[in-house]
Amino acid sequence: MLRWHLLSLRLWAPAAAAIELLAGVGMVFGIGLLIPHISTRAAVYGTTGSAVVTTLLLGLILGPQLVAEQKMNGTYEFVLTMPVPRSAAALAWYTVTLVIGLPAAAATLAAGMLRYGITLSPAPQLVVAVLLSVFTATMLGYAVANAVSQPMVTIILSELFIFLAFGYAPINFPPSQMPAWLVGINRGLPFLPMATTVRDGLTHRVVSDVAISYVVLCCWAVGSVLLALLALGRRR
Amino acid sequence: MSATALAPRHGAARWWSSYRHMLRFELASQRQWLPFMLIIQILLSAGMAVLYGFYLPAIPPQLAAFIVTGTPALALIPIGLMSLPNVIVNRRIAGNYDFVRSLPVPRGTEVAATATVFTLLAIPGMVIALALASWRYGITLHISPLIVPAVLLTSLMATSVGAALGHGISNPMLINLVGNLLTFAVLLFTPVVFPPAQYPAWLVHLHEGLPFYNMAVVLRDALSTGLVAHVGRSYAILLGWTAAGLGVSSWIVSRRG
Repeated sequence: MLRWHLLSLRLWAPAAAAIELLAGVGMVFGIGLLIPHISTRAAVYGTTGSAVVTTLLLGLILGPQLVAEQKMNGTYEFVLTMPVPRSAAALAWYTVTLVIGLPAAAATLAAGMLRYGITLSPAPQLVVAVLLSVFTATMLGYAVANAVSQPMVTIILSELFIFLAFGYAPINFPPSQMPAWLVGINRGLPFLPMATTVRDGLTHRVVSDVAISYVVLCCWAVGSVLLALLALGRRR
Repeated sequence: MSATALAPRHGAARWWSSYRHMLRFELASQRQWLPFMLIIQILLSAGMAVLYGFYLPAIPPQLAAFIVTGTPALALIPIGLMSLPNVIVNRRIAGNYDFVRSLPVPRGTEVAATATVFTLLAIPGMVIALALASWRYGITLHISPLIVPAVLLTSLMATSVGAALGHGISNPMLINLVGNLLTFAVLLFTPVVFPPAQYPAWLVHLHEGLPFYNMAVVLRDALSTGLVAHVGRSYAILLGWTAAGLGVSSWIVSRRG
């Protein structure tokens, strides 16, 4: 399935990698334009947050849109008839999102460090945080794409996800800049925990509530996998 | 068939009659999606107006005035550049794109009818976003009659370029990609919501010839006093882009398959 994904994406994989890179690095520089005299704290949040958003793009936007396209042009049923376990197909897609997303996220971090003169200190837990965050985002996208029957709704939902991640979850800016009730909602949703765990792996004493964030993320990951399995196992 | 359903054969009367038929056709074929798109459009427009406040903890009044008067452009741009191309591409996938092209109406009426529907779709979101933003940032607007031509021209510009994209690019993934990239570029790298002084001079010069900054200028001019200059030039540039968008989409639509 990994080979199948790579082959079917052969035209798109280089383009997707380039777009990821542009989006991540562009976001880091763009935040500097929005905030003219940016503080070190805001720069750390902007840089690490942009890297987080970059790793989510593929699983959360491109993934559902690919499935939506398959549904519209009729190849979706063909893919489902392939004699491979559903879990193998899902894990193959997860691997693709990692391979394409991680270099872009690394470039985003490097661009932020150069642009704002900040220092990040990667810790071993970063590996776990990134793997879990990308897994959750990819499975969430996968679940929505397979569970929603209307491709148009899938596309709109994927756009909505990224809009919420960019503007309504404290990923690119500190939670203190958002109303407390909105931060409270975000604590139970997946995007803030993704940012918290990844940021914890990149910085010292910038974030709190790390353990609970891991728990929330695990719940979302399991929930998304279950939803995807339910949608894929349904008879049509 | 009743006599009233027969279209006049020549000139402006035929165009107008065909336009009305195409408008009814557009409304009927989109009726399933229109309420959904309207709600999404209102949420996104209002959402964009508010989110800048999260990025900037302390906003001086001058900047707040820019953010508030930038919201109508933010509401109008995505509906033309993202929703409209997607609708055209979906029509292509569903297989009724060629059917629409085969209808016995002047080609421009299809583009004009689509532009009308999408302009009407954008207006509620724009008004709500503007009201919400002026309340959120505590800014009083000075609305002049110029708001009518500014909104119409801006919307026509966005929908004509969106129609050109939708008719010109047949791959749905590519359409989505271009739409997303344009929205990203508008949100972060175009002086739509923030004063040009915050951007590098070369970027501002580049945007003076591109449509998005000029859309924001004409709308801002109709909503405030003393925030913008060279408004006439912005109208001229927008007219140029609108003509180009309409020309390209009409040319693509009228080509033989």
